[in-house]
Amino acid sequence: MAAQSGAKRHTFWEILQRIDRRWIYLVVWLVVMVPLIKPFPVKPVASPPVQQMFNYIDTMPEDKALLISVDYSPDTQAELHPMTIALLRHAFATRRRVGLVATYVYGLGLAEDALREVKREFDSVATSHEDSIISGEDFVFWGWTTPLLTMMLGMGEKITNVFPVDYYGARTESLPMTRHVKNYNDVGILVSIAGSSMPISWVAYAQTQFGLRIGCGTTAVSAADFYTYLNSGQFTGMLAGMRGAAEYEELVREKMAQMDMNWHVRNRGTEAMSSQTAAHIAIILFIIVGNIGYFATRRRKS
Amino acid sequence: MSLSPDPWVWIAAILTLAVFSFLYRENPFYRAAEHLFVGVSNGYFITFTWHRILVPSLIDPVGHGQKLWLIAVAFVGALYFTRFIPKISWLVRIPIAIFLGYGSGMSLLRSIEAGIIEQVKATVVTRAMFANWQTGLWAIIILIGVICTVTYFFFSAERKGVLKPVSYAGIVFVMVGFGASFGYTVMARISLFIGRLQFLLGDWLGLIR
Repeated sequence: MAAQSGAKRHTFWEILQRIDRRWIYLVVWLVVMVPLIKPFPVKPVASPPVQQMFNYIDTMPEDKALLISVDYSPDTQAELHPMTIALLRHAFATRRRVGLVATYVYGLGLAEDALREVKREFDSVATSHEDSIISGEDFVFWGWTTPLLTMMLGMGEKITNVFPVDYYGARTESLPMTRHVKNYNDVGILVSIAGSSMPISWVAYAQTQFGLRIGCGTTAVSAADFYTYLNSGQFTGMLAGMRGAAEYEELVREKMAQMDMNWHVRNRGTEAMSSQTAAHIAIILFIIVGNIGYFATRRRKS
Repeated sequence: MSLSPDPWVWIAAILTLAVFSFLYRENPFYRAAEHLFVGVSNGYFITFTWHRILVPSLIDPVGHGQKLWLIAVAFVGALYFTRFIPKISWLVRIPIAIFLGYGSGMSLLRSIEAGIIEQVKATVVTRAMFANWQTGLWAIIILIGVICTVTYFFFSAERKGVLKPVSYAGIVFVMVGFGASFGYTVMARISLFIGRLQFLLGDWLGLIR
């Protein structure tokens, strides 16, 4: 009996080893939620790949357009959508022409949402027609078409052949921006914002065939795989996960402040950094405690 | 706190909570949300493809008597549906063969160029990489890492002699790679959760501004 009651007693570490995982979910929920409501200041500092992309877009020749390929769907929106918005803000603030395409049908609504949000920000402070952001002049949203290979290769020859009408149904031949942006020769950089291996496809088809410069915005899951393309120079820069988005947002905020564009905008990536920091600390602690518990219980068993 | 008056935000919030309920345990709310997601996604894709691709690129021109050769292309594409008729299901091989041939022909050389040749070039250590000591050091580490890792996956010879320590170093590099991937994966999953909470606390409940 004494031996049985002794076997039933569990140490602190043993209890931790058997804890219901739903308690962990609850802790993570609180750790993420509280800093979102009461954030603590975290200033994102641009890492070299983010700075590299920003610098290139900021200093590329004025007649070259920024092409954004929205290669993600709502499942990765949280990480990637802030990147699209930050890139659009950067391009419109520095008066670069922007072309948008989507390689997934599900990305169309997201691209339109990002365009609508950034256009509204700039239009709300515009004092003249020239100051506002105009579809067909400052940007063209070409939309989506299939098959993918034909689109990627065809745009290198003539964009209007691939997209006779834009997303809003306007004839692309008649748009003012088409006079300046005919094919990849008129594009400074294409940034593929993707939750998949789509940036590598852009490298394989648009860069290998036409020499187009490619930048990449990716989910954190894919970032480790994409560093090799950054190292080889096939990517001009890379934004990795929500942290990459926050770093780019900070660079754009500083740039816009220099240009006296100090209106309030919502930076979702930066806003999430205190939650992300708290969650990472919590997970590091879980890993440390879990390992200590594992070794402590193993020693007790032996 | 100011609740959103938008009914679509409410629907999205309720569906988000239904999906999160899976964290407690499997339940009908989660299953309903999952089925709805699959159905809506497919419906959106089919509708969009019909209105934006098939109608303007095939049905309209053929209906106006133009580009009649598209009928032959559409016929070959329609052979995909023979999969549902057992007697002639072999016909599905025709569009699959055409698509595979086209895809392989278009991508083979370009993929080799982008994924192998350029990557190998980036691994070769050149004098230019030693413009400063940091880039030089990283170039050497990358070269050693690639050699050791490839050696680890070289199964044609027994791991003894020089191959043993080199392949052991290879697995250390692989483990470091896995560690980096895991760290990034944690960051990604937390980011997705933050995104949903930003929606619930901001767009729905109005607690974040």
